[in-house]
Amino acid sequence: MNEDELLKGEKVEKILSPHPLSFMKYQSLSLFLIIWGIVAGWLINFSEWSNLFSDNEWWYPLLVWGLVLLLAGVIASLLTVRWSIFFLYLGVFAGGTALMLSAGWLDASGLFIPFYTVSISIIGFLFVEAYRRSHKYIISNQRITFKGGIVTKRERTLRYDKITDINAKQSIIGQIFGFGTITPISQSGFGLGSDKSFAGGGVQLGEKKLKLFGLFGGGKEVQTPRARSYYELHGVYPYKEIKKLVEEMVQGNVITPYQQEQVAFQKEQVDIQKQMRDLLKMQSESKMDQEEQEEGSEEQES
Amino acid sequence: MEASPIDVVIFAPLAPILGVLLFWFIQLVIIESEKYLLSKIRLKHEPFCRFTNFLGILFQTVCHALGFTVTKSGISDFYISVDYGRVAPKKEKKGIFEWISNAFLFIGPFFIPALLLLICLYFLMSSGFEIVTPSQLVELKYTFGGQITTFGASLHTFANGFFSFLINIDLLHPAHFGFLLLMIFLGMGMRPSYIGKEKQEKVDMFYDLKNIGTLILHKPLYLILLFAMAYIFFYISFWLQQIWYVALFAILGWLSIISIVSLVLANMILLLIKTTDEIPGKWKVFPYATMPISYVIARVLFFYIPTDFTKAVSVLILILSTIAVTYFLLKRKSNRFKTERDIKMLKKKSKGEKDE
Repeated sequence: MNEDELLKGEKVEKILSPHPLSFMKYQSLSLFLIIWGIVAGWLINFSEWSNLFSDNEWWYPLLVWGLVLLLAGVIASLLTVRWSIFFLYLGVFAGGTALMLSAGWLDASGLFIPFYTVSISIIGFLFVEAYRRSHKYIISNQRITFKGGIVTKRERTLRYDKITDINAKQSIIGQIFGFGTITPISQSGFGLGSDKSFAGGGVQLGEKKLKLFGLFGGGKEVQTPRARSYYELHGVYPYKEIKKLVEEMVQGNVITPYQQEQVAFQKEQVDIQKQMRDLLKMQSESKMDQEEQEEGSEEQES
Repeated sequence: MEASPIDVVIFAPLAPILGVLLFWFIQLVIIESEKYLLSKIRLKHEPFCRFTNFLGILFQTVCHALGFTVTKSGISDFYISVDYGRVAPKKEKKGIFEWISNAFLFIGPFFIPALLLLICLYFLMSSGFEIVTPSQLVELKYTFGGQITTFGASLHTFANGFFSFLINIDLLHPAHFGFLLLMIFLGMGMRPSYIGKEKQEKVDMFYDLKNIGTLILHKPLYLILLFAMAYIFFYISFWLQQIWYVALFAILGWLSIISIVSLVLANMILLLIKTTDEIPGKWKVFPYATMPISYVIARVLFFYIPTDFTKAVSVLILILSTIAVTYFLLKRKSNRFKTERDIKMLKKKSKGEKDE
């Protein structure tokens, strides 16, 4: 953080970045590509089933490679409820096929498929690493600043007194390597997402002319703490220390019930003092008026 | 040769049980060595130790849950972290059900990971899964000697197949390589106790044995019941002239052999980590890099000079070159293996440099 970005009296406590393994869900997509690329290479060239590929049409290896890739994409998408994974693998498959066809490497699929898959996974790893490195979290004595994004730079600033509660989570990898994610939820509800589920069904009764059709369905929504990685303290290390620091900062900036009582009491005291001052003022004024009146009557008498 | 009735009725069923117990005890001793090595590298490799702890706790918790499932107690709560695992039953069942679920908790971690490996091995190994009855022991097979020999012969057949698979393992074959990785990982977590941040005296082999001992002695009746069931099973096998009884224990013996080999491999990896920790700086990466490089070079070499033992020799080259590189680095980069004369010479040399 630059000096000119700091507010008056602001002091930076910690500057953090996500742990290298904190984006494992993205890295695992590349990891699968590496493993599948190597296995596909072995399967086509060296395994006992290699004849199946060499003796048949050129598209056999491509078909097996693509089917496994897309199947993995469907399974991963269903498990994470994120269809982007399927489309990503579809893109990898389509890109590979297009490249093979355009370059005329149809007979070299045994060499092309593993090299292409491993190369794409390396690019994937590099992209995830660049994305991770784009994140920066600055914890100061007044606020938390979240920064992130490779092309579009995003920033969020959150004052401690605006934090209503803190959500913290640690995956198994996080527990092993000591990192975790802290999501501060603001008064406006920033940091909250929702999980939606829906169930539906249809019934058709009767034959030929008479048909009854019924439809039933239902849905529910559960609010859950969720934010983009550049809007939360994503995969920060050391997790426990950072969590404690943030909680202490929030505690220090948010007024406690005891402090509220103290403030109310002080306010009461001030009000009483004000009333007393007014009374004294009134008293002294009436005294002065009386004296003036007495002086006036004395002058008249003389 | 005529078998004595006492031998057949009383001693013969004990033979395979004793065999399994012996192997299990060997397993316990190797686990102890693993725990010692883990505690030695803990300071420098905290995440690695947490990972092995997690594996151990995972198996323990899964075994406990399995115990509750088998006893139809149900599972109401399942929690697992890197240093703690908890399973709570839906219905609190007492008596034999509680005893069985506890038996799963204490004994399961020794055998369940090995069972996973055995299933994998079934698809990878070409032979070794036969329960063998030595032909010369046909008349003796329901005596103590006969049972233990049949048990030993079955184990010998399996061990032969298993070791020839391991010696000829093809590390360029994804399934073989995956199996080796799985074996090392499971070997790291094949222990029922947790390696904590601080050294805990009670977490050792005796603590594990004490747990099991309490389980047995607390309800001796259940143990007697278990033995009675084993004896009944033996008599049924004897009556039907089948090899079922010894086959059951032979499978447990196979599991023990797999566990022991996994643990030995895990120990070797831990020893390598502990040894390379003594090598300063980035040099410590070299022994690890030597492993894949030497293996690939050997395989490429043997591709052009074909021999009958390509895979076995390649594995041997991998092991020897890793040992050689580690030894060389230890000698050159640390004070290990330096004689008094070497140290004196070094001191003289450094003194001379200072004077200059």
